[in-house]
Amino acid sequence: MSMANIEKVKEWQETMYDIDSGIQSAAPTVREGDGEYTTKHYTMTTTVTSGADPDMETYALTRKQRVQAALFPETLEEGATILSTQTDPSQMTNVQRLAEPSQMLKMAIIHLINYQDDAELATRAVPELTKLLNDEDQTVVCKAAQIVNQLTRKEAARRALMQSPQMVAAVVRAMQNTSDMETAKATASILHNLSHQREGLLSIFKSGGIPALVRMLSSPMESVLFYAITTLHNLLLHQEGAKMAVRLADGLQRMVPLLKKSNPKFLAITTDCLQLLSYGNQESKLIILANGGPEALVHIMRNNNYEKLLWTTSRVLKVLSVCPSNKPAIVEAGGMQALGMHLSGSSQRLQQNCMWTLRNLSDAATKQEGMDGLLQILVGLLSSDDVNMLTCATGILSNLTCNNAHNKSLVTQNNGVEALIHAILRAGEKADVTEPAVCALRHLTSRHQQAEVAQNAVRRHYGIPAIVKLLNQPYYWPVIKAVVGLIRNLALCPENQAPLRDAGAPPRLTNLLLKAHQDAQKHGSSNQQTYQDGVRMEEIVEGCTGALHILARDPVNRAEIANLQTIPLFVQLLYSPVDNVKRVAAGALCELALDKPSAEIIDSEGASAPLMELLHSNNEGIATYAAAVLFRISEDKNSDYKKRVSVELTHSLFKHDPAAWEMAHNSVPMDGPYPDELDAGFTGYGVYGGDNPMDGMDGNMMQEDFPSSMNYDRQMYSDPY
Amino acid sequence: MNREEAPGKSPEDMYIQQKVRVLLMLKKMGSNLTPNEEAFLRNYAGVVHSQMSQLPQHNIDQGAEDVVMAFSRSETEDRRQ
Repeated sequence: MSMANIEKVKEWQETMYDIDSGIQSAAPTVREGDGEYTTKHYTMTTTVTSGADPDMETYALTRKQRVQAALFPETLEEGATILSTQTDPSQMTNVQRLAEPSQMLKMAIIHLINYQDDAELATRAVPELTKLLNDEDQTVVCKAAQIVNQLTRKEAARRALMQSPQMVAAVVRAMQNTSDMETAKATASILHNLSHQREGLLSIFKSGGIPALVRMLSSPMESVLFYAITTLHNLLLHQEGAKMAVRLADGLQRMVPLLKKSNPKFLAITTDCLQLLSYGNQESKLIILANGGPEALVHIMRNNNYEKLLWTTSRVLKVLSVCPSNKPAIVEAGGMQALGMHLSGSSQRLQQNCMWTLRNLSDAATKQEGMDGLLQILVGLLSSDDVNMLTCATGILSNLTCNNAHNKSLVTQNNGVEALIHAILRAGEKADVTEPAVCALRHLTSRHQQAEVAQNAVRRHYGIPAIVKLLNQPYYWPVIKAVVGLIRNLALCPENQAPLRDAGAPPRLTNLLLKAHQDAQKHGSSNQQTYQDGVRMEEIVEGCTGALHILARDPVNRAEIANLQTIPLFVQLLYSPVDNVKRVAAGALCELALDKPSAEIIDSEGASAPLMELLHSNNEGIATYAAAVLFRISEDKNSDYKKRVSVELTHSLFKHDPAAWEMAHNSVPMDGPYPDELDAGFTGYGVYGGDNPMDGMDGNMMQEDFPSSMNYDRQMYSDPY
Repeated sequence: MNREEAPGKSPEDMYIQQKVRVLLMLKKMGSNLTPNEEAFLRNYAGVVHSQMSQLPQHNIDQGAEDVVMAFSRSETEDRRQ
């Protein structure tokens, strides 16, 4: 008990009991007469005599003292003792029995008195102080504010203040109207103190405190800024309706510029406010963007070490990173590199937030420069056992290697292939990891200088069996699609052809192709698209055919693919409305046609007609493949057929060389030799001269040296010019 | 007689020119040629030479383009600490 309270008590007891001081503490617990045991602890009564023998008069006098000692042991003078009347150690005296509960009661009363004092004081003073806060004289207002600020430091007074709407309103009004620094500081401090209780928050909210506090965010005084932002933070955290009110008061527009301050703790609160305001609120995110939020936040990430600040800032960036407008701005401001600075530290929560944010941003960062460091760290993180970390690392790498030759080469050179394979092996069936990991490998194995290195690395690190196994059931189509594309790239490397065959790629791809094609056909018209797990079956058809096309470059694989009865399907795919499908189907047939038996099958399946059409394709790849297949299947054909093909071929090939066509057209007569034999698409221009050099084709068409290609005997063409 | 550079090419020459082009493009795209097709190209080496510079510079058949994965579809809240 404090000295002041002791004094108070002393005063009280002297008026109540008329007892002088010097009393002892109470007696220990003893079993009472009726057999009940009390469980309370009691201090031991020392019954020490003052030296003289007790007598009855003394006994009567000290009763009061004994009561006093029991109730107010702290007032006992040092060394003073009171005689106890306990005669039987097993029996407590009445005073002893009452000691403990009396003690407790006394403490309660004392506390109440203090509280009562503060509360009473506050209650009596509140109307007065309110009046003073509303005074016209600014000096009066200032003084009143300072007094109220003092009062808010004590709990009882604080309660009284927050229960007065007039008082809180007066404080708010004084704060926003004053031009005096001290008044501003005192009133802001009052609201800050009130904001630690729910009732206080509500009173501030109801009194229009939020717009006033937002206005104080423009104050030049650091202390006012601190009080204002902290109070707003408490409101945003705990007061319903505060977020809306802050937004309506243009709070975001005032807060974002504060990000330029240097105090890390202040910044931590400010960024947390921004996170609270912008989470799930698109408009808020756009306001932050419009006020230079991304640049300021990235700057904080780059230039601070205070973990809590980095964490709160990363949370704001994470919220903004799902906004399509903020994403490019964050990336342009160097957000990827800045977030990448915090992936190796000890704070797991910071690391995790940075990773999720990077993943969200990654599809907007494919053209960013200066990402080498980040890419290297990400390759390192692929060895993590944390599935969240793996999910993010593979996803980010997949996007950053997308259409970026520099990044592809860098990742390849930093053992990215090996790391990705191991990640795939560890991930098992977790598609969130395998899909992006396979996509990343697919990116690494094509369209950059180190593509061949990557293709070989997959084989060297025993990746081929694991990758082909991903084609097994149960089918998760996004993974299938990625794997099929990767296999196609791997097959570009001749050394991979045998391992791919050994792993069973050709039959698996053929089965998938059949299934996807059937599913796509089931839905009737070609305009309808069949989606499974978000993947169109037409994409699977294209992917599988493309992979089989490249696998067919290997003679052994070519024979196996032909034996899987794929030719009829490839011929059917020549009729696909999708150019990419036409191209890969024609490409596959082009390879298969290298083998005579397959060339015959291709021809017997009626491939000539669609191939003739494809000669006119605007797609050079399609036209080239179609021409090559026609060359190869027409080796044993009769001359009429060959003529027709040659005419079509020459006509269509001139399409890509208009100058040569023009020259050819002008240099020969217009009469076409076989108008009735010509294809409907043919315009009828005769390419060959009036001497009808085509007559010379019979039997002499194919020179000995070129059995599988169409060729003209040079002698056929007597030059008419 | 080498007539490739002369104006007003004959149909035969134009045909050879175009066939050489097809075969060269096949090679450029990584496809195999038959021995006869390879011999054809050797035979018309001059045409090959002139056609090489006229082939498209871009890669014609590189397979499907890389496509980004869109991760930022939804917002998830993390625990406030």
